[in-house]
Amino acid sequence: METQNLVKEICPTTTQKWVKEGALLVDVREKEEVDLLAFDVPNIVNIPLSEFEDHFQELPKNQQMVMVCKSGGRSLRAAGFLINHGYNPTLVVNMHHGIVRWVQKGFPVKGNTASIIINEQATGCCDTIIDATQGDNGCCNNNNSTNNNCC
Amino acid sequence: MKTNIKVLGPGCPKCKTTYNNVLDAIKQTGIDAEVQKIEDIETMMQYNVLTTPVLMINEVAVVKGRVADINEIKQLLMQ
Repeated sequence: METQNLVKEICPTTTQKWVKEGALLVDVREKEEVDLLAFDVPNIVNIPLSEFEDHFQELPKNQQMVMVCKSGGRSLRAAGFLINHGYNPTLVVNMHHGIVRWVQKGFPVKGNTASIIINEQATGCCDTIIDATQGDNGCCNNNNSTNNNCC
Repeated sequence: MKTNIKVLGPGCPKCKTTYNNVLDAIKQTGIDAEVQKIEDIETMMQYNVLTTPVLMINEVAVVKGRVADINEIKQLLMQ
């Protein structure tokens, strides 16, 4: 995993919590990728990374936003870009492992999951095997996990 | 003055090609240059990099999100 301190990163389970609290998901994958498989959440916007520099100002500055992509790399750069442009680092976070891990966790999507190459055993964000009944509990099967200490 | 060149990218094939093209362009032009390959995500974010690879000459991003070929780099270096 890439190491950096500029952007807070959260796992898909914590992202679900943010979504339930009204956070906006910002998917920076290209349109062709989104057409194949999309996150199925209430508040989502697609700004492809290739167009991000021209359109990032359309994003609100006073709302929680989770940046997402396929595996978490592109969205990390986009989140850093936003923070460098004055967005609040406590409101803008990156979802690491992207839609690949989101699908592995069984979270809702629209489209064909076969478009995502999944050739590894589904693991939790601490490399533990996922408990499908984990629900809204912390991402490390820790009921005390909070948004601030996600693994 | 020595030209400062940076190639920013996560280590993907396109980034490696850009880096190698830079080295070839320097050889062919004979200019005095210092080349840095930057793969560290934190440093890349400090430069506001979105799409990679990025080619920077003297701290100015001259090519973003694509491979620059040797001739293009030579032209950029001669400017």
